[in-house]
Amino acid sequence: MTKKEHVKPLDKTGTKTVEKPVAKPQEKPEAIDTTRQAVPFDTGNIPGPKMARAVMPAVQGKMLAKAKRPLLIVGSQIHEEDVLSRVVAMGQTGLQIAAVGNAYKSLGDKGLDVHYANMHALASYLCDPEWQGLDGKGGYDLVAFFGITYYYASQAISALKNFSKIRVISIDKYYHPNADMSFGNLKKDVFIAALDEVIKELPKR
Amino acid sequence: MIVKKGSFVIEGLENVQINIGKIGEGLEEKIEGPTPRPEIISLRNWDYRILDRYAPVYTPTSDMCDYCTYGKCDLTGNKEGACGIDLEGQSARQALMTSIMGAACHTAHGRHLLHYLIKKYGEDRLIDVGPSNLKAPLTETIMGIQPQTIGDFLPVLDYIEEQLTQLIAAANTGQEGSARDFESKAFHAGMLDLLGMEVADIIQISCMGLPKSDEKTPMAEIGMGILDSKKPVVICVGHNIAAPAYILDYMDKGGLFDKIEIAGLCCTAHDMTRYSKSAKIIGSMSKELKYIRSGIPDVLVTDEQCVRADILREAKKLHIPVIATNEKITYGLPDRSNDSIDTIIDDLASGKNEGALLLDLEKVGELVPRLAVKMAEIRKAKGITALPDQEDFRKLVAKCTKCLQCTRDCPQSLPISDAMAAAVNGDLAPFEILHDKCVGCGRCDYSCPVGIPVLNVIEKASQQVIREEKGKMRIGRGQIGDPEIREEGRNLVLGTTPGVLAFVGCGNYPDGTKDVYDVVEEMIQRSYIIITSGCAAMDVGMYKDKEGKTLYERYPGRFIKGNLLNTGSCVSNAHIAATTIKVASIFAGRKTKGNWEEIADYVLNRIGAVGIAWGAYSQKAFAIATGCNRLGIPVVAGPHGTKYRRAFIGKPYRKEDWNVLDGRDGSVINVEPAPEHLMITAETKDELMPLLAKLCFRPSDNSLGRAIKLTHYIELSEKYLKKMPDDWHVYVRNEADLPVAKREQLLKLLEEKGWKIDWEKKKITEGPLRKVDVSFQPTNVPRLCKEVKK
Repeated sequence: MTKKEHVKPLDKTGTKTVEKPVAKPQEKPEAIDTTRQAVPFDTGNIPGPKMARAVMPAVQGKMLAKAKRPLLIVGSQIHEEDVLSRVVAMGQTGLQIAAVGNAYKSLGDKGLDVHYANMHALASYLCDPEWQGLDGKGGYDLVAFFGITYYYASQAISALKNFSKIRVISIDKYYHPNADMSFGNLKKDVFIAALDEVIKELPKR
Repeated sequence: MIVKKGSFVIEGLENVQINIGKIGEGLEEKIEGPTPRPEIISLRNWDYRILDRYAPVYTPTSDMCDYCTYGKCDLTGNKEGACGIDLEGQSARQALMTSIMGAACHTAHGRHLLHYLIKKYGEDRLIDVGPSNLKAPLTETIMGIQPQTIGDFLPVLDYIEEQLTQLIAAANTGQEGSARDFESKAFHAGMLDLLGMEVADIIQISCMGLPKSDEKTPMAEIGMGILDSKKPVVICVGHNIAAPAYILDYMDKGGLFDKIEIAGLCCTAHDMTRYSKSAKIIGSMSKELKYIRSGIPDVLVTDEQCVRADILREAKKLHIPVIATNEKITYGLPDRSNDSIDTIIDDLASGKNEGALLLDLEKVGELVPRLAVKMAEIRKAKGITALPDQEDFRKLVAKCTKCLQCTRDCPQSLPISDAMAAAVNGDLAPFEILHDKCVGCGRCDYSCPVGIPVLNVIEKASQQVIREEKGKMRIGRGQIGDPEIREEGRNLVLGTTPGVLAFVGCGNYPDGTKDVYDVVEEMIQRSYIIITSGCAAMDVGMYKDKEGKTLYERYPGRFIKGNLLNTGSCVSNAHIAATTIKVASIFAGRKTKGNWEEIADYVLNRIGAVGIAWGAYSQKAFAIATGCNRLGIPVVAGPHGTKYRRAFIGKPYRKEDWNVLDGRDGSVINVEPAPEHLMITAETKDELMPLLAKLCFRPSDNSLGRAIKLTHYIELSEKYLKKMPDDWHVYVRNEADLPVAKREQLLKLLEEKGWKIDWEKKKITEGPLRKVDVSFQPTNVPRLCKEVKK
């Protein structure tokens, strides 16, 4: 059985996304492991001695859930339906979304708390403790991101890593060394399942 | 009368000889501003004004510093290293070093050309750039002199070289430690870069018959599919026209253009076509390895800049001799400058030598065509083929294990294994798409664990599209002439021409060359003035509309709205920046000589010009951008631009950053964020287009101009991002600023935002940040105010 077979299509609310495998007697379901392949996806992208800790989706989900003022940043690689539906599901939990690149064009009509932002400018603003956020209601204590051109995201968050106190978690398909925590490099089906695991941890609206 | 250097005997006076050496009269008399020949801190106050508003944003590629033997030092989290520098300082130091490298490249290029041209034409050769009184705007603004002859540029290059030495010294461990001052110095290097480029292009235009502000230059053929590979083929690679000019002259004299194909790769190609109508263009640096691997060239001639470091190794595999013609790139080749042409040809043809360093350019001119003829026969007889045949191709794609290592090594993360899988099933379309997106670096070859020569496979699969790769590019025109500035300057300053967009730089595009074409087409249809140069100019000409016409064939090349201009090669970038100086001088009557700060202040506040380096990869591109930034011109790079590690991004939410002075009385006016950023990146072309429209806003726009700019900003955002911009209202000062077609709808939206509207008069009565004042004289420089308000 491949891992992809664990994933079933979203229901309309986008909340229930991962089906527990129908376990045969005495057989444990295969768990998603997002800590493997924790090496920078771009082979030369090794910033220095401090690189992201590879973690499981539940950890990322709990971090997001516990944050006082989290922000989800998504970019130009979220337009495919399977990924987009997970962004929407996260947004539907009330999580504020910064749509960078051209992400907004797939998110603007979904009734979410979504704001267009330029990723480079956003990184700059996030490093400014005086910035009051995309909605003017205060700065953020944690940002999570995925679906942004890999090297672009990696560069932008290197600013946060080195010049801000904000916690940065990558829930991307790729290992991001400049985040505080990240998944390893994942196959698409595992990535989708991991996003679903993250979503499960988010508070229901 | 021009007084020439030399010796003169006066009739009637025996034994009297007058020797005239350096002629400098008049050059110092016309200085109009406070900073002729600025030293490295002369313009620091101006730099600080910029940095106060557009704070540097650092995105390090490495958290380490390994500049000295104290290190490696871990600077993560902005820690200090052993020498005391923190990551912010180190990042700024890298910005300085990058700018210096770029400036040195262009200046050394200019020095090489000047040395060669003075030797050939003498120092007294007059400058001739076309219909301009302001012949060398950057030289005048920086140096405070008005050069008349090419010899007048000698002290200019001396100045740049001296300043660059000072700047390099500042980067040594134990020297500068302030990020802010590193950035000021980087600005200085960027400004020197613009100056070095101007010298290089003006002297070659003046001496070598290159087009002189000609809006109707002929079209050049461009593309990987343009050459007749049955003929001997000479390919020149790099940026410096000196050596290719000799080859072209020799071919011209010998009537060889029908017998031998000659084309260029990268900016040398630009200048070859400016020099000779018979030269052709293969394309940008991204085509370099691809074209060599095609096996078509019979001789490769290198000069300087943007030449691949592996060109000799690659050429050797295909028995293509390399003739290096510039001291900066010698590849360990034997210096054959003093040997006979026949001997060199024999050694290269026999394979005894894989190439030759040949610094005698006259010999290069004769040797290269003769060698090409000989090598074509030899290579044909040997049956040298570079790309795999059909059977090998089939086997190679079947070997792919889909490990994704090639994708991980690819600068564009291209889905190569998916294309391999499709090719196994006979579908070559994914490879053809990759061919356009591939920057031709060849890293995939090294990464493949089963030894697939990936780049060759991509190119083999794309033979059909490569054969059809034939475009047209209007040959580089050089400067924008004064008459054109007179005609258009007013529209630019008032905003009724929505902006000047300069597409410059290299081919490291995030999603293929077509994006540049698409963006240019969209913006030119919206009446922006589009200026191109370098590899971007080439890529714009690579695509055709349904009627088979390129953009250059569809749009004329005058400096007016809705036109498409190509200034030329990399060093022709100087003319784009210089155009803003011309507008300040010709339209507004601003003094130029030694007056950088005032000119830059004018450009920043009044001229809606933006540079776009969508595929910038080199240090030179960074230096150009940094120089433009010091001149008040914003620049947008593609996503790879974040790897330059430094940007200048404004914070629109910090109202105090957007105070300017009114030059009439020195009063402080809080204005809209215009331009909002000086150096920034975008992720995709969808994001780029509204950003460009936004960066064209200037505080000086009149209402008609502002309405036009606002129209494009809103429309582009709605078209490509599917949203009304969040900040559109910030740029509204009164109802006349609103696009006429949407005025009522926008007034309603403003009312929803809490603005007060008098619906009877359809007027805004409360809400805008400031009012429109047609006499407003925005400036960031207190000394430029007529009367400083206390």
